[in-house]
Amino acid sequence: MAVTTDVATPAEPAGTEQWVGLEELADTPAFQEMLHREFPEDATAWADPVSRRQFIALAGASVALAGAGCWSPRPASPEKIYPYVRQPEQMTLGLPLFFATGFTVGGVCSGVLAKSREGRPIKLEGNPSHPSSAGAIDAITQASLLNLYDPDRSRLNLKTGIPTGFDNALAEIRTALLKLRGQPGKEIRLLTDTIGSPALGGLILEEFQKAFPTAKWVQYEPAHRDNAREGGRLVYGEHVNTSYDFTKALRVLSLDADFLTCMPGSVRYSRDFNQNRNTHLKEGDKVPTAAQLNRLYVVESMLTPTGAVADHRLPMRSADVEAFARAVARGLGVAAAGDTPAPAGAAEWIAPIVKDLQAFRGRSVVVAGDHQPPAVHALAHAMNAALGNIGTTVFNFSPAEVRPGNQTTEFKELVKDMNAGSVAVLIMIGVNPVFTSPADINFEAALDRVALKIHMGSHVDETATLCDYHLNEAHYLETWGDGRGHDGTASLCQPLIAPLFNGHSPLELIAGIIPDRPTEAPTNPREIVKAFWRKNWPANGGSTNNFDAQWQRALQEGVIPNSARPRFEKQPDPAGIPAYTAPAAGLEVNFRVDPTVYDGRYANNGWLQELPKPITKLTWDNAIIVSPNTANAKGLNVKTQSTGGGEHGRQVADVAELTVGDKKVRAAVWIQPGHADDSITFHFGYGRQKCGRVGQNTGFNSYAVRSSDAPWNKVGVQLTGTGDTYILASTQAHFRMEGRRPVRRGTRDEYEQNLAKHKEDPSVALFAKAPSVAAPEWQEIDETVPGSPNEWKGEKPKEHKHSHDKPGEEKKEDHGHHDDRLIPLSIVPATNKEGRRWAMAIDLTACHGCNACVTACMAENNIPVVGKKEVTRGREMHWIRVDRYYEGKDPNDAANLITHFQPVPCQQCEKAPCEVVCPVAATVHSFDGLNDMVYNRCVGTRYCSNNCPYKVRRFNFLTFADFKTDTYKLMRNPEVTVRERGVMEKCTYCVQRIRAAEIEAERQGRPIRDGEVVTSCQAACPAGAIVFGDLGDPKSRVNVWKQQPTNYGLLAELNTMPRTTYLAAVRNPNPDMPKSKGA
Amino acid sequence: MSTGVVEHGHHGPGGAPHVQPLPPAIGGRHTMGSVVDAIGDIATCVRPHPKEWYLSFGAGFTMLGIFGLAVTYLLVMGVGIWGINVPNAWGFAIINFVWWIGIGHAGTLISAILLLLHQRWRTSINRFAEAMTIFAVMCAGMFPLLHMGRPWLAYWLTPFPNNFGMWPQFRSPLAWDVFAVSTYFTVSVVFWYVGLIPDFAVLRESAPTKIQKWIYGILSMGWRGSAYHWRRYEKVYLILAGISTPLVFSVHSIVSFDFSVAIVPLWHATIFPPFFVIGAIFSGFAMVLVLAIPLRKWYHLEDFITEWHLDACAKVMLGTGMMVCYGYFSELWMGWYSHSKYEWGTNFQRMFGPYGWSYWCLIFCNFVAPQVLWVKKWRLNPVVLFVVSIIVLIGMWFERYVIVVTLTREYVPSTWGRYAPTIWDWATFIGTFGLFFTCFMLFVRYVPMISMTEMRELLPKRAGGRDGHGIAEGPP
Repeated sequence: MAVTTDVATPAEPAGTEQWVGLEELADTPAFQEMLHREFPEDATAWADPVSRRQFIALAGASVALAGAGCWSPRPASPEKIYPYVRQPEQMTLGLPLFFATGFTVGGVCSGVLAKSREGRPIKLEGNPSHPSSAGAIDAITQASLLNLYDPDRSRLNLKTGIPTGFDNALAEIRTALLKLRGQPGKEIRLLTDTIGSPALGGLILEEFQKAFPTAKWVQYEPAHRDNAREGGRLVYGEHVNTSYDFTKALRVLSLDADFLTCMPGSVRYSRDFNQNRNTHLKEGDKVPTAAQLNRLYVVESMLTPTGAVADHRLPMRSADVEAFARAVARGLGVAAAGDTPAPAGAAEWIAPIVKDLQAFRGRSVVVAGDHQPPAVHALAHAMNAALGNIGTTVFNFSPAEVRPGNQTTEFKELVKDMNAGSVAVLIMIGVNPVFTSPADINFEAALDRVALKIHMGSHVDETATLCDYHLNEAHYLETWGDGRGHDGTASLCQPLIAPLFNGHSPLELIAGIIPDRPTEAPTNPREIVKAFWRKNWPANGGSTNNFDAQWQRALQEGVIPNSARPRFEKQPDPAGIPAYTAPAAGLEVNFRVDPTVYDGRYANNGWLQELPKPITKLTWDNAIIVSPNTANAKGLNVKTQSTGGGEHGRQVADVAELTVGDKKVRAAVWIQPGHADDSITFHFGYGRQKCGRVGQNTGFNSYAVRSSDAPWNKVGVQLTGTGDTYILASTQAHFRMEGRRPVRRGTRDEYEQNLAKHKEDPSVALFAKAPSVAAPEWQEIDETVPGSPNEWKGEKPKEHKHSHDKPGEEKKEDHGHHDDRLIPLSIVPATNKEGRRWAMAIDLTACHGCNACVTACMAENNIPVVGKKEVTRGREMHWIRVDRYYEGKDPNDAANLITHFQPVPCQQCEKAPCEVVCPVAATVHSFDGLNDMVYNRCVGTRYCSNNCPYKVRRFNFLTFADFKTDTYKLMRNPEVTVRERGVMEKCTYCVQRIRAAEIEAERQGRPIRDGEVVTSCQAACPAGAIVFGDLGDPKSRVNVWKQQPTNYGLLAELNTMPRTTYLAAVRNPNPDMPKSKGA
Repeated sequence: MSTGVVEHGHHGPGGAPHVQPLPPAIGGRHTMGSVVDAIGDIATCVRPHPKEWYLSFGAGFTMLGIFGLAVTYLLVMGVGIWGINVPNAWGFAIINFVWWIGIGHAGTLISAILLLLHQRWRTSINRFAEAMTIFAVMCAGMFPLLHMGRPWLAYWLTPFPNNFGMWPQFRSPLAWDVFAVSTYFTVSVVFWYVGLIPDFAVLRESAPTKIQKWIYGILSMGWRGSAYHWRRYEKVYLILAGISTPLVFSVHSIVSFDFSVAIVPLWHATIFPPFFVIGAIFSGFAMVLVLAIPLRKWYHLEDFITEWHLDACAKVMLGTGMMVCYGYFSELWMGWYSHSKYEWGTNFQRMFGPYGWSYWCLIFCNFVAPQVLWVKKWRLNPVVLFVVSIIVLIGMWFERYVIVVTLTREYVPSTWGRYAPTIWDWATFIGTFGLFFTCFMLFVRYVPMISMTEMRELLPKRAGGRDGHGIAEGPP
């Protein structure tokens, strides 16, 4: 466009500067001149009002279009979102709420407190009011949270594989059931796992059975307690539940019972058991006497956590335990035990045990494992009676489950009926019999003969795919329910969240299929439970006049008061003990519940799959576990390969074929020191085919060889090598301490003597503290310290003392005084001496390696699951690991093997080696002594991990956190960052809990109380082995623990000044025993 | 081969005859012009390149492709594609970093230190040794970057002003590394380039094509060869040599701090800095020989890289090799003498543990194999020398391997594990060979691989040279 303005126009007279708009101004010659001079390119545009307007119009249109472009055809949410008009009661956004509920497995409910953030349950804690929990929580219970958010959970109700509505399905089933009424030979069967829920049981027994009088209710689960039930029946004439009070028991004999980790009530038991086990010095500095401390004898085949912490452990074939029990019983005066001799090698154990037990009449316990035959249970009852324990340490109840019975018999009858074609409808709730049924029962074929097959479960599993209806079961945190603890105490289970995938409760299923139910009968699970308890509220559980208030209180507490089953006063009748039939010689196989995936129902739970099993440290697989001698005899081997993580992850195991009767299975072999010879342990629950993406094809299916007549133990099996190998992921295959004493231990007597000598002469080193091993003292260590290699060469430990401290004596070796302080001399000034100094102490006497701390940490800190492949590469992410060491002259000598557990979180060193080497200051020290990890500063040089002598740092080598799966996003703790790839992470002492407590204390204007900050691992620990607190508070529990003579710092000799310290393991062996530990 | 024609070249700086005359540093009957013909014509491609060049370049370029592939996959997936794990958080990346940076020491040592020490024989090998240094440091520099979990944040290791108010954490040797390596690289490049300026000017004059003249003209930065230019050039060169000399020691000392500052048993040792520097020179000379022996043959440079040069390099290797072995002995001794279970235990693991084979491999390569060099006949035999040099390079790689796999078994036995490289570790390592050889072969093709200027100075006076009295010796 040409320049159209007239530059020759004379200037306007003065006073006409008033202009009405930019346009007018733009017309002034002065402006025009300026424009042409300064911005010749823009002169025309400014001069032309039309083009400028066009520009503005275009700009406006652009803005409008840009706005329109942001419109999405798909709204973010089809539902309207409303803010809270009124804040829900008690809810403050950003603060968690806790609700009491209960988790049931094997018919036993343990109380939990579920932590809810903005309506999402994100963590489980033990319920201190619940007798089966006592405030602690085990690994499986904790991990059940992940099941809620399992993306592979069933999302639909299916009718022959096609989605259908729940109500439709119920109506159709109801009609089908009605048609069967009065048709003989067309029976209805209900198959469930052990039902401990009184409300569900009541519904089945009272309404369902009445509506269908010929229907039969069958309970079956692989981890059944038939033997314990049967054993009780033998001597009491009826089914009993037995519970133990370990707070009063000072001598315990376990007959193949892993009562600390794998028994109803084991969480409670491990807490109680450790009350009489701690050697913490009390007033007057007296070490508890041998009689004040408890003593545990364990006779078992597989090394279990209970056996590992025993004072005396005798490995023997599981089949031989009965003979042993009879020998002890005879010694205790149980005549009916017969004259069976003790098994070979065990004879000299009998007399000292008998003597010891008898010395503690009424204060001892004999406990039999659930998998031991009924006779052993009967013997245990008789022995407890003979020792006067019944009513003091051993209590019998009527069973906690709704309808106790022999599950195997019931199940066999059911299958017989199914095969006979007389079962027209089979309703299965929470069971997966196609996978779990015994090897001699072809359940799949029998199922084929049932006309209408209904399955209710959380997953479309092996059974669901063969059924006509699959109904989507709600998770226990999604619906109402109830349950009974190991002693029968009832608790109410309330939902924390609406069903994520529209699942329903079994209560709704049963209530919904009962025809002609009165209209006023409740169908909502909450109302069903409430109605049940309105009717059955315990007589002394509070006034029923104000039931709603009682109900509210029970909901809040998590337990119904005084609902424990009444105690059984009857004494056992030893006459019921059957005669002895000697087991055959030869190789036996023991089938055991898996310590992580249970009977297979948690196979799709990544936390449990990746949780190293307490003893073997295997992840993602089970194996045929044998002793080194048995493996040698069979020519089987497990090798460490140099690839991957080697002994820290990757083991190449021979694959063996196990033949039990006419059934065969091939599985990898694991060689377990401490395992009894001629014995195989094979955990069940692995080998799932349809369980979801996590557990698919992990491990080996031992159900394939587990028959109904020998569900736990079978003697006379064959094990042969196949020449194949299989890669197992074991996080710790190196089990020797290499003389470095990461775990320090001693017997009670050694402790007492050492302490007395130390008091008399301070130059005598305390056994747990000195000498360290970095100093040039290792020869002395070997000579003087219990548990060092010389001891296994048959040399007795010498007294360790310094001659140079005693004037007048000859100098032996002068290497300076041992510095037993955890804070050694340093030219670097100590960090803060005032204010809070967070610290932890872990009691190795108590720890039995159950792994509850590991899962608790995973849930609290959003720790990712990395998968088997990454575990074999040594990249598991657990912030706390439980190290397991064996001590012994010869790992093949099972009877003389000592096992140690050592939980290792970040030691929070005051002089942390990791901090100085980080080039970007991503790991720094906090004012209160925490070794902080700043994720978003980390660039991933991994130098800190190299420089960490404890190797507790974990690195995100790949994108381990799952950022994609929606359900996992709900599960995460919003207070903990989800770490991305390339970032180092580690234990923070649950810093988010510390800061939350600080804020609360500051708000209330008071110091933080001792015990106010509880780390996740500490909260979970059933044994109470972990204490956390402020070192600055002289009265704090952690300070009391740290002042114990048994307190020592792991690798403290490196001057790292670890804030986490350990209390040495103190055992209380019987000096009369032939092979006593540490003697 | 040369036969000692340069009879008057055997004088020390003061002109007094040596008792034992030095061998000639330049063979044949070269003149000022023939030196340019022999060396410059390679760079200007007047003389056709032998087929070996094409093979080497092809192989190098192929491996560079592998490098590209490996790095791309690495950046997409993360360092988890490598074999590293928790006890052994450093693997091939650090081994290769230290190995390459060690190789990168010979160039500057030859150029700077031997210059200051008036070693005439340096002149024929310094140019390509310097190029080798630069390319080796480039290869080395790749690894610390790639080995980071989040390499896109590598700049956080540098002190740059930022709104976090954060600086690097200066107590960490990794932060020192950044300065040490980048300084070393910068100074080496400048030193190399300054040395090249007169040669580029020569090529500018002798290049046959216009485009070559143009490029060499730019690169020679207006060099006219005036006395002023020479004067300033020699001063700058000398000053740069002075700056480079401490860097030779500082870089590998600081790299050794990556280990010796750590608390890991056997890493935490005061011997590490000298031990690493000597090891670097050892491997650097081995690499010089590995490159020089074939180049000499392919391009018929026997007149410039004479037997004397080979002999001298071999002697340096033998000497530094023995010093390195003293280091191995010292580690063992200190481990025993400390009476520490960790130190001695780690020594034991190193020798007889799962990675014992690598330790004995190292002892063979770095201690046993170089013993051959005591024999003069073998020192003068290019084939023997080539084989020994390759063995030494392998041995020095194993030295770093042995150091890094110490991590697999250190303090707490429960954490003991293993480390093994994956295919991606190898691909990255081989890939850096690609980077190295691609760069080096391009250097051979376009840049005079031997300093023409300095070779001319070596010529006898009657041929127009300075009798070898060149730079750093003051006026003849």
